[in-house]
Amino acid sequence: MSPEDSDRLWIRSSIGVVVGVLAFGILSGFVIMPVVQGAQAGIDPWTAICRALGISPGSPAAQQPRSAASGVPVSNVIWSPQVLNTLSSAPADAGRELAVGVCAACHGELGVSTDPAQFPNMAGQSSAAIYKQLHDYKSGARINDTMQSVVQDLTDTQMAEAAAYFARRARPPWDVTWVRTAGPEADRLARTGDSARGLPACESCHSPAAAGPVETPVLFAQTPQYLSVQMRAFKSGQRRSDLFGRMRDVAGKLSEREIDMLAQYYSEMR
Amino acid sequence: MAARTEQDVVRSELRWSIVVGLTVGAISLAILWAGLVRFINPPSNIETIDPNSVHLSAEFNEANLGTRVENGQVVTRVVATQFSFAPQCVVVPANRQVTLRFTSPDVIHGILVTGTNVNTMVVPGYVAQVHSVFRKTGDLLMPCHEYCGLGHSQMWATVRVVPEDDFKPDADGRALCEKP
Ligand code: HEC
Ligand code: HEC
Ligand SMILES: [Cu+2]
Repeated sequence: MSPEDSDRLWIRSSIGVVVGVLAFGILSGFVIMPVVQGAQAGIDPWTAICRALGISPGSPAAQQPRSAASGVPVSNVIWSPQVLNTLSSAPADAGRELAVGVCAACHGELGVSTDPAQFPNMAGQSSAAIYKQLHDYKSGARINDTMQSVVQDLTDTQMAEAAAYFARRARPPWDVTWVRTAGPEADRLARTGDSARGLPACESCHSPAAAGPVETPVLFAQTPQYLSVQMRAFKSGQRRSDLFGRMRDVAGKLSEREIDMLAQYYSEMR
Repeated sequence: MAARTEQDVVRSELRWSIVVGLTVGAISLAILWAGLVRFINPPSNIETIDPNSVHLSAEFNEANLGTRVENGQVVTRVVATQFSFAPQCVVVPANRQVTLRFTSPDVIHGILVTGTNVNTMVVPGYVAQVHSVFRKTGDLLMPCHEYCGLGHSQMWATVRVVPEDDFKPDADGRALCEKP
């Protein structure tokens, strides 16, 4: 055989093999498989082939075991695109009147509270977090007499506007005369967590850059008193409007000492 | 065996083509056999759910998560979320068919139960369902196996397999993990 002949033979047989494999694939995938499997499911050959080709629709979804039990939702907030849009497009100053007229008495005109141990600072908080909490107070998912009576008559838009207003205020600054006291143990829990306990790092949700749950509040600039009271409320289940128990799970795994440590650590963050 | 002439190269290529051809052929046959003899096909039942309101849905609201016996069938529901499973521990009876149903409200998670056939992706907007029979009693680890964010490596839960006699659902059919 001359080299030309042998080349030609290679090319022809390669093309033959490729075409053969393709034909076999089409035959088995679109004819043999659907016809045989269709027969098993009581579907006639022609319909089975049409379904395999995607020309006619498949079987409707089968009914799966679906519980009829209706529980009580922990929160009525839905992060629909509309809600997120309202939050991000709320004019910066639309909420000023409400904030100054109502909230300022406790949370301060600029979101820096009159008594931050009792009334959390609002300045620089994420607007989604503020909105979520206001919504929860209103629906009764989060219980607090003061806040529940404050939000009673607010509409969704008013809540979104107040949230956007406070979110855009500057955070309370760090006073240069303060001394940081939280130790490395708190830092490790906050930034690495503890795998053995299934305890994710606080920062994996609470860092503004972490892309965790939408409603996660930033923990900067609160007092240790407020932060520890809230963590204990999650731990005991007294505060229970966090979706899917995310924060209740975390707080439930923290010891009393760790709660105090972390409250101190985050109060020193700016 | 060094190739000396072009003929040697051609022969060697031919040999390898045959090896590859046989391998591909064997795999195709296995697939055909699974499809034509065992009637195995990929799951085609698609169940959707609105990921934004999972916590308000009748099925996946918090009070309905965990294990429940419904019409004699053991059904376990779990929400995979950043960065935990809700609930953190589920209890199931040994040697009985269990239907596990998962969904996610946020990002793609994965779920597997060590030492069993339970292994699936949990995609927001869909319900993932797996049937299994747990043979060994004890606590099994259920980690998230699809990177879902910074807290992914701390995301795991427990499947507690108890002997059938110790599986005692309450009047509503619910069974909870007891604190050890
Ligand atoms: C009479 C005092 C008072 C007024 C007025 C008030 N608040 Fe509050 N607010 C509180 C207290 C006290 C808390 C802590 C409640 C708790 O522990 O659940 C709180 C908590 C909050 C929280 C939850 C913060 C967090 O991080 O958990 C938000 C959000 C909030 N207030 C927003 C507002 C807005 C917006 C207004 C105005 C419409 C307002 N508050 C008016 C006293 C007040
Ligand atoms: C899985 C995500 C996640 C992790 C991890 C997490 N948190 Fe949270 N945390 C949240 C969410 C979400 C909320 C808001 C809950 C709600 O909707 O009421 C919250 C709320 C809080 C609050 C209440 C703040 C306020 O303004 O009311 C504190 C305090 C807190 N977390 C501390 C911590 C600490 C300390 C850690 C680390 C040990 C931690 N969190 C880890 C998600 C997380
Ligand atoms: Cu995950």
